[in-house]
Amino acid sequence: MEPADARLLTLLQDGLPLEEDPFARTAAALGTSPETVVQRLRALVAGGAVRRFGARIDQRRLGLVANAVIAWRVPENRIEAVGELFAARPEVTHCYERLGVSGAWEHTLFVVVHAPDPATVERMADALGEAAGLDDRVVLLSTAEYKRRPTVWLEVET
Amino acid sequence: MSLDPVDRRLLEALQDDFPLERDPWTALGRRLGLGGPEVLDRCRRLAADGVLRMIGPVIEARQVGLSASTLVAMRVPPERLEATAALVNTYRGVSHNYRRDHNYALWFTLAAPDRAQLEAIVAEIGARTGIVPPDLIELPTVRRFKIDVRFRCPGPEEAIDGAC
Repeated sequence: MEPADARLLTLLQDGLPLEEDPFARTAAALGTSPETVVQRLRALVAGGAVRRFGARIDQRRLGLVANAVIAWRVPENRIEAVGELFAARPEVTHCYERLGVSGAWEHTLFVVVHAPDPATVERMADALGEAAGLDDRVVLLSTAEYKRRPTVWLEVET
Repeated sequence: MSLDPVDRRLLEALQDDFPLERDPWTALGRRLGLGGPEVLDRCRRLAADGVLRMIGPVIEARQVGLSASTLVAMRVPPERLEATAALVNTYRGVSHNYRRDHNYALWFTLAAPDRAQLEAIVAEIGARTGIVPPDLIELPTVRRFKIDVRFRCPGPEEAIDGAC
């Protein structure tokens, strides 16, 4: 990534100011125009460095106070199909295949779901299992959040 | 906090398709049938209420030199959970860290420039806590099928189950 782009993204990682001319401050800090900032951001989205540009919301404020990882044991030859099936479900925010640890952890297809309560998480797990024809799963409900921040946190001098 | 139907449509639009334009408020307003100033006012209110955390870039880790990522689970005795979680949180590459209801009670995600650095951090955490395999397991990403942290915002009259 170009240093100028890294500076731009660092300036915006706390979020756009909610002001009439929201790109003006960032543009001034970079010594450029708001139009240029907007053009660079579009290019970063088009090039894939920015996965999306938009709002992050606090889902707990929408009543989605339960979150769970559900880990599934899936036959190797079905991982791809089941991964794609789970990924297509709207209630699933993350779906990853992970390398297990023989004897210690063999549920290697991980999904994350968010729900109003633990009972709904269980129903979601049942529905996913039914759709995939799987029942060997571990539901890992979150009981405390110690840290949550974007995966990428830039520390670039601006 | 109460969200009216316009707030809900606005929250979805802000997540799904924020217009990268000089005046995004007016562009959003055109879609929602509102004026730009009202869109901005609503955004400020939603931010003050805490439901709108920020509007900004979601940066792709692999594009900024963080090409290795993993999930670590630790069997931590209950009386040591808080201290162990605090130690884990001091590592910059840790983005998410949760207690979960399982005998592997602590679960965190870790990203690093490469696999070797990732393994070194995990080994250091093991050494500093005395919690080592198989009480510490590391589950590296093999394949990413989905990462899309956006939430539907149905009104109370709509089914929430599975739709959020």
